[in-house]
Amino acid sequence: MNIGILSKRTTNLAGKIKQFYENKGFNVTIYTLENLSINENLFCNDFYILKSKKLFFLYAGFFLKANKIPVVPDPQVSFMQKNRIQSHFLLEKADLLVPKFYLGKSETLINQLGSKDFPLILKPIMGSGSKGVKVIKSVQELKAEDNEILYLEDFIKGLHYNVYFIGNRVCTLIKPPLSNEHVDMEEVKTPKDIEDLIKKWRLFLAENNLFGHLDIVREESSKDLYIVDPGSFPEFTNWMCSSSPVEEICNLILHRVKKLKNNQNN
Amino acid sequence: MKKVGIIIDKYHLNYKVTDFLKYLKSIAEVKLYVEESYFLKSSNQNFDEDLFFVKGKGEIILSLVKLIEEHTSIPVINSFKATCLAINRFLNSTYLRKAEIPVPDFSLNPKGEPPPFKDFIIKNIVDQGVYKFSPILMEENGNTRVADKRALDEVNGKEHQYNFLYYQKFIKSKWEYKIYGIGENVFFYKQLPVLINPNKTESRQKIDEISELKEYCLKAMEVMDIKITSLDFHKTQDGQFFLTDINCTPNFNYIKDGHKIVADYLLEQAKN
Repeated sequence: MNIGILSKRTTNLAGKIKQFYENKGFNVTIYTLENLSINENLFCNDFYILKSKKLFFLYAGFFLKANKIPVVPDPQVSFMQKNRIQSHFLLEKADLLVPKFYLGKSETLINQLGSKDFPLILKPIMGSGSKGVKVIKSVQELKAEDNEILYLEDFIKGLHYNVYFIGNRVCTLIKPPLSNEHVDMEEVKTPKDIEDLIKKWRLFLAENNLFGHLDIVREESSKDLYIVDPGSFPEFTNWMCSSSPVEEICNLILHRVKKLKNNQNN
Repeated sequence: MKKVGIIIDKYHLNYKVTDFLKYLKSIAEVKLYVEESYFLKSSNQNFDEDLFFVKGKGEIILSLVKLIEEHTSIPVINSFKATCLAINRFLNSTYLRKAEIPVPDFSLNPKGEPPPFKDFIIKNIVDQGVYKFSPILMEENGNTRVADKRALDEVNGKEHQYNFLYYQKFIKSKWEYKIYGIGENVFFYKQLPVLINPNKTESRQKIDEISELKEYCLKAMEVMDIKITSLDFHKTQDGQFFLTDINCTPNFNYIKDGHKIVADYLLEQAKN
């Protein structure tokens, strides 16, 4: 069987996944932005792993899926987690708490937002993780932004968690606010409400949610859990709940592909 | 009177909807949501319109449409799905072909990687801003190669956005067939291709219905959930049509009484 991996890099988790499948006798090609041309030539593989949510990998995912080549995770679900607007409504639909957001041209936001609305978090509309994310404490700081259209979210003050899940295994870590997945984190026993939240999220997307992560903030006064960033395929850098997540992820993917192919045949 | 919300950008408001708004205001209550000054709050659910009409495709417009669709049951024409697909040439080519509507071969390639066909036109991937097609002809070894300046700027320009080019196989055609779909009604025109005559209205003429194009038009509208559209077709020498472009904010002023046809259609679709 031939497998394609759509990934920014050939190393890290993508490299380990390639190695795992090659050891099992599969032919694996990693497509990065340097060697990815999206056309019929991609039909040479039996299925694809959408490791990166970068736009062109998502395009490849949509193209392959439309042409009945299985792609895991699902490109539409990955896209909805990449686009802040879409992910807001997706999480809301899953009955999870999300911070309110504000969108407009910078001039409009400066005119409409009052001092009591701050602090807010400025985020790129297309993005996940901490890249391009910063706290805006006043209108004055907004004036310094030259972006045409700005996306701002309510700043939720509280304890920040990075919660991974692979199948029904949950790994919870406390992380510094606004940090990425790769910083040092402290593993903690998963609180019951976080366990329930992950269960709800997994059930909501069902088989399109084999693994992933959620950045969650426990709000200081209410103790409510807010989802501030979902992710469909993290690097699992800080996964501390089993010796290696690679085997579990790869097996889940194979199982999903088998099911997708069966569905196609029936 | 029905209440109609118009979600629009300044360009369309200033140049494309004067007659339409004048007529619509005589038969409905109209509220404008102008992209350039709109403050979108995700918590806002206070819309009392019976229908929204979208005349624009910017990021704020798309987000407002998404919010209305998620928080209310008010019909929106064109929908979020329709607009997102229509503005993305690669995605609409993918889904139209899947629906067996003939589109020219296409490929999305990193800069420097040629497509798997010899005659091509390079178009930008996401057609979101207000822009007039600016073709650069690059005749090479007898092959027709055209690039839209905007597409090259998005890859090579000062503020380049990405490293990919969308190639569409070039279909040489004597005429460009311009088909408008408004609900179930389809209107037929043809004009000389812009590469032959940049003044596209000069040669435009109304033509009789072409049943094959009507079928493609209605199917494309169904696949993309698009209710008001214009489509461009090219015809090969052996008579095969190819859909080269689909638009979610068509200029309906080219159709006789287009503004009335659109306004009347919108009111028919409004909530009862």
